[in-house]
Amino acid sequence: MASNEPLLKAEGIVKKFPGVVALKGVDFDLYQGEIHALVGQNGAGKSTFVKILNGIYIADQGKILINGKEVKIRRPIDAKRNGITLVHQEVTLIPYLSIVENIFLAKIPFTKGPITALNKKEMESFARKYLELLNLRINPWIKVKELSVGEQQLVQIARALAENANIICLDEPTSALTPAEVDNLFRILRDLKKSGKTIIFITHHIDEVFRIADRVTVLRDGEKIATLEVSKTDPYEIVKLMLGREPSRFYITREKVFREEEKPILVVKNLSTVPEKIRGISLTNISFDLYKGEILGVIGLLGAGKTELGKALIGLEKVVSGEIFIDGKKVSIKSPIDALKYGLYYLPENRRVEGLVLTLTVRENIILSALKHTTKLMGLRDINAEKKTALEWIKKLNIVTPSTETKAMSLSGGNQQKVVIAKALVAKPRVLIFDEPTMGIDVGAKVEIRKIISDLAKQGLSIILMSSDVDEVLALADRILILYKGSQVALMPNKDLTRDIIMDLMSGGSTNEIVFSSREGEHMEIST
Amino acid sequence: MGKTGGSEGLVDTIKNLWSKLSVYEEVKPLIALIGLFIASALLSPYFLTSYNQRILLLQTAPLAMLALGESMIILMGSIDLSPGSTMALAGTVAAIVHISYGQPLSVSILAGMATGAAVGFINGLLVTKAKIPSFVATLAALVAGRGMVLILTGGQPIVGLTEFRVFTEAIIGLPNMVWIFIVFTGINLLLLRRTSLGLKIYSIGGNEEAARYSGINADLVKLTIFTLAGFYYSIAGLMMNARLEVAYPWTGWGYELDAIASSVLGGIQLTGGIGSPIGPAMGAYILTLITNILILMGVSPYVQWVVKGAVLAVAATALTRGLKYVK
Repeated sequence: MASNEPLLKAEGIVKKFPGVVALKGVDFDLYQGEIHALVGQNGAGKSTFVKILNGIYIADQGKILINGKEVKIRRPIDAKRNGITLVHQEVTLIPYLSIVENIFLAKIPFTKGPITALNKKEMESFARKYLELLNLRINPWIKVKELSVGEQQLVQIARALAENANIICLDEPTSALTPAEVDNLFRILRDLKKSGKTIIFITHHIDEVFRIADRVTVLRDGEKIATLEVSKTDPYEIVKLMLGREPSRFYITREKVFREEEKPILVVKNLSTVPEKIRGISLTNISFDLYKGEILGVIGLLGAGKTELGKALIGLEKVVSGEIFIDGKKVSIKSPIDALKYGLYYLPENRRVEGLVLTLTVRENIILSALKHTTKLMGLRDINAEKKTALEWIKKLNIVTPSTETKAMSLSGGNQQKVVIAKALVAKPRVLIFDEPTMGIDVGAKVEIRKIISDLAKQGLSIILMSSDVDEVLALADRILILYKGSQVALMPNKDLTRDIIMDLMSGGSTNEIVFSSREGEHMEIST
Repeated sequence: MGKTGGSEGLVDTIKNLWSKLSVYEEVKPLIALIGLFIASALLSPYFLTSYNQRILLLQTAPLAMLALGESMIILMGSIDLSPGSTMALAGTVAAIVHISYGQPLSVSILAGMATGAAVGFINGLLVTKAKIPSFVATLAALVAGRGMVLILTGGQPIVGLTEFRVFTEAIIGLPNMVWIFIVFTGINLLLLRRTSLGLKIYSIGGNEEAARYSGINADLVKLTIFTLAGFYYSIAGLMMNARLEVAYPWTGWGYELDAIASSVLGGIQLTGGIGSPIGPAMGAYILTLITNILILMGVSPYVQWVVKGAVLAVAATALTRGLKYVK
């Protein structure tokens, strides 16, 4: 390392939350000008740790030293005054303010006096300085809500720079970015490093550690397991340290099935939609069919229209043309209620926002989609039947929860996802539409969820699996539908396909012409 | 030594007991209620007299009906500003049907109830079909409802409602209208905790998006609950007719705020999805009790407002302890 004195040192950080010790005495050191990755499973304490560095949580024990001097960080402003800032996992910009105003907000805590007169020109030149650093060439007076997630992420980094931060903590910055945006972000991080900034980088993606980081610290169950030089380790070792055991395979493999004779359960013909909100995605002429026991992988970048397709199938997008057939009969689906009648169930991408009622118990969430099964006359609830159903699914899906009466909000991401799956299955659907089922959950839970999806198909459920994880789709899907900017680029059997072929197609690719390949076609042609 | 050990043991026992009890959302309002009751008994010798206790319950009954209706709407994450006007309109219609059209009491009661339910139904339609936020939709109902009362009455009270006394007559020691509010408190407990409709209400308040994705017809639930709440308010209006034996056009003026305050005092969170079904009835009792003891102590009515406001602020602080920030 460049110098022997760490820029930042944390000693014996302990943080307790009601019922759980999130950090059990974590030591950490950070050197000037390094990119330091922080990895660990969900609940390992990564986010808690950076939130303590940033004054969002206050440590119960332990101390933080900057350049060898102890500092007290009790509020975010204390952290900022010490040159530390956090780019949150969720976008924390103010959507109805412009880019300029959002960046300028960074300066406000440092201005003197309670009221400062604002000068538009000054504000803009202030903001531009940082936007140029990030190579972000957009009208800086656009409202932040009009930006893509990737652009918003960059604006957040610009704001961090505007705060004059020396240590920038990034909490899972890549989880919502397209590969191109990730490349751009990494380029920027390298530039920042060159200019002497120090970066703490939380991620779930082990490959990113090797692409960008100098050192990596592994946390597990609130303890620091190791800090390693990235050049002297390998992904296998890191995953082993994260899990505390030999890793099993991330991607389960399943026998791919290509059916010939049977009739499809679901047929979608030339489906087109218009977006409900500005800058939303419209779908154009999407056509596919789905068979019993089949997994159809739908893949595309952010903004390709995966979520929109999922929502269109359950009546939540404005369909302008096209037809949907179930068992050969044309149907009209106007709401999730209609969809459920035909056996279509959509599991949303963001389980905390759209999937679960966090204030309800695990039991109540599980039974929510099929209240009729557990109610008696006049809608009177049979609590024992509810408990029985909940316990049955907790066991079947191996949901880790203290009891059926635990509030959904206190479960880990992976277990919350399983509750969402249980809720869907209680409604006895025939077609399950998974939207990014393994996004943002830890490695162990990812494997479990993939296993569940594979098992469900084996039991005869038809599955539409929407994912931006190419390897996940390659491992699970029988056929793959690729979307790009709301249009269908290819529909093909998952045979002899590679990651590169798919990546190329999903990013609009260098391919000029893609021959639509039907199921029967069994092959696809790509001419360049 | 032994003595200190004993008192520490006691502290631990209390702590344990508290951590077990605080799981129940009813505990905080109940403790506040008991505490205020004991304090009032100590502050005024008249407080515990059966005459005063009867008055207290009679005054609680209509407010409790409003709070029970309002709280179902708040639990869905909406708000209703119309309870005061709705109760007045329902009471007025019942009085007119009874006095001006000479209809028997039963018919006039049914007419009043239908009026309340109709106002609630319209509120529900405005929210679910016209997609007006409940705050604005029910604000319109608050204003228009009062206007209708004034048109119907010409601004004059309707007198001679002696037959409404059936509400204030007593069986088994308590006035009928007190029994009515106790029964409705039980109905709310059953509805919210033991029926699928209740779970739908909590899930819509907790996360409407997730509830909709789960196949819950949120619009139908809202329409139903707004209508049901309107029906609850109409009963409050009939109770006011009975208590005063007059349908007074300004009845229930400002009561929407008391209904919301009762819900908050009873532990219902304004963000929706959280709170005990019977809390609002306790909240209504607490609010009425505060007015009652202040009157007994001869405190100026102007000061009463200040005290009520202060109690609300203190109670709300106690309820939101532990939250990072609220809006």
